[in-house]
Amino acid sequence: MWNKDRPVPSYMQGSTRRVGIMTDVHRRFLQLLMTHGVLEEWDVKRLQKHCYKVHDCNATVEKLEDFINNINSVLESLYIEIKKGVTEDDGRPIYALVNLATTSVSKMASDFAENELDLFRKALELIIDSETGFASSTNILNLVDQLKGKKMRKKEAEQVLQKFVQHKWLVEKEGEFTLHCRAILEMEQYIRETHPDAVKVCDLCHGLLIQGQSCETCGIKMHLPCVAKYFQSNSEPRCPHCNDYWPHEIPEVFDPEKEREAGISKSNKKPLRSRQH
Amino acid sequence: MPRGQKSKLRAREKRRQAQIETQRSKSQRSRRAPPTTNTSAGVSCTRSDEGAKNQDEERPSTSQASASTDDPHRTPLDQKAILLVEFLLRKYNMRDPITKQDMMRQVIKKHKAHFHVILKKASELMVLAFGIDVKEVDPIRHRYVLVSKLQRTSDDRLRGEKIMPKTGLLMTILCVIFMKANCAAEEDIWEVLNVMGIYADKKHYIYGDANKLITEDFVQERYLEYRQVPNSDPPRYAFLWGPRAHAETSKMKVLEFLAKLHDTVPSAFPAWYEEALRDEEERARARFASLLRIGTTANVPSGVNLGSLSQL
Repeated sequence: MWNKDRPVPSYMQGSTRRVGIMTDVHRRFLQLLMTHGVLEEWDVKRLQKHCYKVHDCNATVEKLEDFINNINSVLESLYIEIKKGVTEDDGRPIYALVNLATTSVSKMASDFAENELDLFRKALELIIDSETGFASSTNILNLVDQLKGKKMRKKEAEQVLQKFVQHKWLVEKEGEFTLHCRAILEMEQYIRETHPDAVKVCDLCHGLLIQGQSCETCGIKMHLPCVAKYFQSNSEPRCPHCNDYWPHEIPEVFDPEKEREAGISKSNKKPLRSRQH
Repeated sequence: MPRGQKSKLRAREKRRQAQIETQRSKSQRSRRAPPTTNTSAGVSCTRSDEGAKNQDEERPSTSQASASTDDPHRTPLDQKAILLVEFLLRKYNMRDPITKQDMMRQVIKKHKAHFHVILKKASELMVLAFGIDVKEVDPIRHRYVLVSKLQRTSDDRLRGEKIMPKTGLLMTILCVIFMKANCAAEEDIWEVLNVMGIYADKKHYIYGDANKLITEDFVQERYLEYRQVPNSDPPRYAFLWGPRAHAETSKMKVLEFLAKLHDTVPSAFPAWYEEALRDEEERARARFASLLRIGTTANVPSGVNLGSLSQL
């Protein structure tokens, strides 16, 4: 019979040679995280507590970071990990299970046809090349004639774009598309390698940048949450690179406590100036 | 003087060690560092910039290839099993069963002859790491589903899309009953279930005691009615739709289920389609009538479908 607390066999151990212990608490956590695709930190903490409650009421709930590192040490040999990121528009910490082994678009290959994958690649290029990090629906649809594979009509392409939104690869705002935070988590490596010249990088954290603010003098760019943290309570924000006055509105640092108290739902929250550049 | 055997062996061993060392250090660099969840700048963990540069879009990344030289325990079949795990995980949330054909085409590829070994390894990994079983639900057309080994709790906050194996079985039975003019002999039901590998006298690894399930559990839940055929000696039994089945699903929905299994549309079965259409009209009429009685649409919840069948 299946022994649920069995230590993980050697061929699954990471190169650090630590023995990770996977229990049903961790497995349930993984199953639920996968079901949701991507989760905010607050939900992840609740999920962790729920999994402990179901399986192991008396155990102390391990610190989230350690809990996740433990899981990742076991999953390392499958090239899978729980990755933490931050949403580009309002700095919410998010978690997703990502697979590092295959390079990107092949991650989507099992769910989409060849022409659909090519549509995604084209949309991705437009997004990366754009100033704002958004590509308009019109511009994407104008490329349908250039797609590989079976011919796709514009009407069909509109539905495929919606399918991408449903699968959390793209996000739509007022007829324009950008990458879903989960897509950035999973595909950062792929994007940096396939668009080495076009890709933008945050001057502060050096991570991939799709949306952000830029200095009008020297052109460096920064993520909105990076800007928020860097210029926190600074009345005279200046560009870290050229020292010129920073001309944009400084967003607020994301505060999970404040948000929960105010009971603001994500859908009601006004998006921060995500189009500044 | 020519070198002795021992000296040659030692030199060869040294060379091999050196090779493994460089490959290991290469793979360490090309493998992404485990993410730090502490937020120094409060932003996304970035992988080191020296990520593997030579990744091809179509092929698995080189970090995987170099990891294989890293670990002498990992065979090509192990690597395929790992790829299959990724494939299966992507299908975890989908309702449609996974076919052997899909797995062959997208993952197994040239290792077709080793399908069973690869699947077995992948299944073991799925159980150990995620507590998910890969079950073959259709041994004839080789379809598989992913079933959590963990007991579902009501708090699991799962979206309603999870595959419920019992529901599939129930739908199949409702289908057979419908096809047999709304009353199916017990033998008819078992004929179909036997084809699916479900037997009355054998414990099934998903459904357990299938006989108890369909003659007691489903009946208790009012999805089925199990009646003795009048004047039958020795007593024979038949199944009919129970009141809950009538409430939660419809002939048209069941026909859609059947059509989907056969990759076709409901109208491909003209006689049943007619009956299903008539049933739909009846239902619409009944809903309309009850609306009039109540007086305002605000009181009537749209789509009375509750329960597990509504998720299909």
